[in-house]
Amino acid sequence: MGLVVPRGRGVDALGRALEEGWRAPASVEAQGLPGGQTPVYRVPAEAMVDPRALRAARRADRLTRMAVLAAWDAAAEGGLTAEGAGARVGVIFATALGPHATTFAFLDGILDYGQAGVSPTQFSHAVHNAAAAYIALALGIRGPALTFTQFHFGFHEAVRMAGAWLAGGRCEAVLVGAAEECGTVQASIAARRLAPPADGRIRPFAFGRPAGTVPGEGAAFFLLTPDGGASDAARIEVAFGAESAAGIDAETGLLILDAGGLSSEEAAYADAAQAGVPVASYAPVFGGTLGLSAFHASAAALTLRRERSFATPVPDHAPERALRVETGGRPVREAVCLRLDCAGRAAALRLRCSRGR
Amino acid sequence: MSARPGGRVRLSGIGLVSAAGEDTAGTLASFRAGRRDPGPVTLFETPLACPVFETGLPQGSAAEGSRTLRLARRALVEALAEAGLDPRRDLQGPRVGVCLGTTVASQLNDLPFYTAFRADGRAPMEAVDRFLKGNLAEQLARELGAEGPCATIANACSSGADAIGTAWSWIRSGACDLAVAGGADEMNLVPLCGFHSLGVVSPEPCAPFDRDRRGLNLGEGAGILILEREEAAARRDAVSGLFVAGYGGACDAHHLTAPRPDGSGLESAVREALREAGAEPSDIAFVNAHGTATRDNDRVEGQALARLFGPDVRVLSTKGYVGHTLGAAGALEAGFTALALREGWVPASAGFRTPDPEIPLVPVTDITRIEGRMALSTSLAFGGVNAALVLERAP
Repeated sequence: MGLVVPRGRGVDALGRALEEGWRAPASVEAQGLPGGQTPVYRVPAEAMVDPRALRAARRADRLTRMAVLAAWDAAAEGGLTAEGAGARVGVIFATALGPHATTFAFLDGILDYGQAGVSPTQFSHAVHNAAAAYIALALGIRGPALTFTQFHFGFHEAVRMAGAWLAGGRCEAVLVGAAEECGTVQASIAARRLAPPADGRIRPFAFGRPAGTVPGEGAAFFLLTPDGGASDAARIEVAFGAESAAGIDAETGLLILDAGGLSSEEAAYADAAQAGVPVASYAPVFGGTLGLSAFHASAAALTLRRERSFATPVPDHAPERALRVETGGRPVREAVCLRLDCAGRAAALRLRCSRGR
Repeated sequence: MSARPGGRVRLSGIGLVSAAGEDTAGTLASFRAGRRDPGPVTLFETPLACPVFETGLPQGSAAEGSRTLRLARRALVEALAEAGLDPRRDLQGPRVGVCLGTTVASQLNDLPFYTAFRADGRAPMEAVDRFLKGNLAEQLARELGAEGPCATIANACSSGADAIGTAWSWIRSGACDLAVAGGADEMNLVPLCGFHSLGVVSPEPCAPFDRDRRGLNLGEGAGILILEREEAAARRDAVSGLFVAGYGGACDAHHLTAPRPDGSGLESAVREALREAGAEPSDIAFVNAHGTATRDNDRVEGQALARLFGPDVRVLSTKGYVGHTLGAAGALEAGFTALALREGWVPASAGFRTPDPEIPLVPVTDITRIEGRMALSTSLAFGGVNAALVLERAP
């Protein structure tokens, strides 16, 4: 897997962030707000410098650069090179808001220079599938490419589609990932709509109490191959419906909730916390983002890979009947990331150690 | 033809809204008459003088959602009626999926909102709310009560074709029994300015594959197909004799806006669709090409299709009748292709007059009878995306 997160780029950056726990977010400019600033879990510019990986995407926007770097790292970790990709590798990208900062920059062009004076480069980069295109360019991928855009289960549908491509023999490997950015316009909208807490702490276990959230950004990609591939890989499955997170073993399982204060309707997560099953959420590390499912999948994969649990960075209001996870060597063989939409519909990503471990 | 895995996917309903007609009957009438009627933009103020293909859909209220959403709803009503499905009874539950493509509806590109925001940061949030409630597939799935797979595809100009292909894959892999699939896009200021800035908008009605073509005309519309697992369709006596037989996708890995000059990405997508359909190139009766009327697209696509099918292949572009409808294009054109198979004829490729020496095939210039049972619809898009759908008619 490959990651670009507010604490930096790479699996080790995520590992350090999960070990360290909560850290205060950055402040960014926010128009129309008292003080003109709002907190955002923003990816630092220095995490997005890599002339080799970004050679094809050197003129691309932040969203694309985050996605390319995460996909590049996932491919490298999985042994996929630009020379070896070709027509049997696919890419599926999920994004809820897409390159919205570029869209707003394009609208700036209309307002500043008139309808006939806009930038063609900004226009072509404002399409949602620009990131997938640059990933294909960077890695020489000539197989199918899809971009899913929706607010709830986009990453889950991407994983489902990748599974169909692999099972049907269309692809030998699929790069699946998600990315979201938080530009200044979105930060301002979030500040008005999502009530960022004054202390900058996301409280994922508030479950609908008026806790608010702090927007975040980043990218997470996974190289998926057919089951039975690499012996040190984890297995990922996606399930939909009310029972999608059922049956987690209390001794060796972990339930990760996609709760993060993005919605005021997160009370159903409290019901999902199962008696005696360890529960966690890492929204305080990633920020409140519609791409949280993919980031949580990366945390789940790291938990399995390192055979090490990570505590919820801000555990306030932790559900009483569930088991609170401490950072340490507790063995986890299965991690289930649960996402609920505003209507209470559920989808889960279930990651397990492969047979070889 | 060889046996195919995964079962057949029946196309049991078609709904079409475009400048060629408010439904399939109107569309066929326009095609039969060779009628096309591009005109200036009427839906918003613009100094850009270029013909576009708007539908007659009236302006709606804010409560009805975006124009794109309303176009999709209108096409959906026709598709469901043809399929004999009652939206209040037949589409609820986890075995019904919704997969729709769009470009415009995926962006928060509301210029009045952004103008107000830029002024003082205190813009009214209605545009944001409308955007958050307007995700095409999520919203229509909510309205229908469909709880199966749900995806909005934003693959630029192949979004509609890829949405149909994705839904086809869902049914073949067992994720659902029935899917609402297609695409929709409204006439919008952002793509109009954007394509104009790229220098690919024609100042006159477009002429796909013509030597003197000067670029594309934008259009708007929606195409919705009802796809069903064959066994499920048979159980409710769905009588359509049409099928989605194959889907292929491939990327160019070449350039963000220009197709790979050798057309190998498109070739790969077509070969994949043919393989999935268990078809040979000789099984294809005609090709409904992407045919945008831009210099690059038509040259690369024409050369690739000629290599695949030979220079005598029957090919047309329907964009001469409806313009380039972006996220709806692949879905509308799949619908047009299916209609042509059912009716046994294809319309003239509107706008074509003079062969291009760089393009080794000539599109049909009159209404042309077709005998075969399979046809191909191709889509090329920003990002170097290529998609191909094989449609089939029962014997």
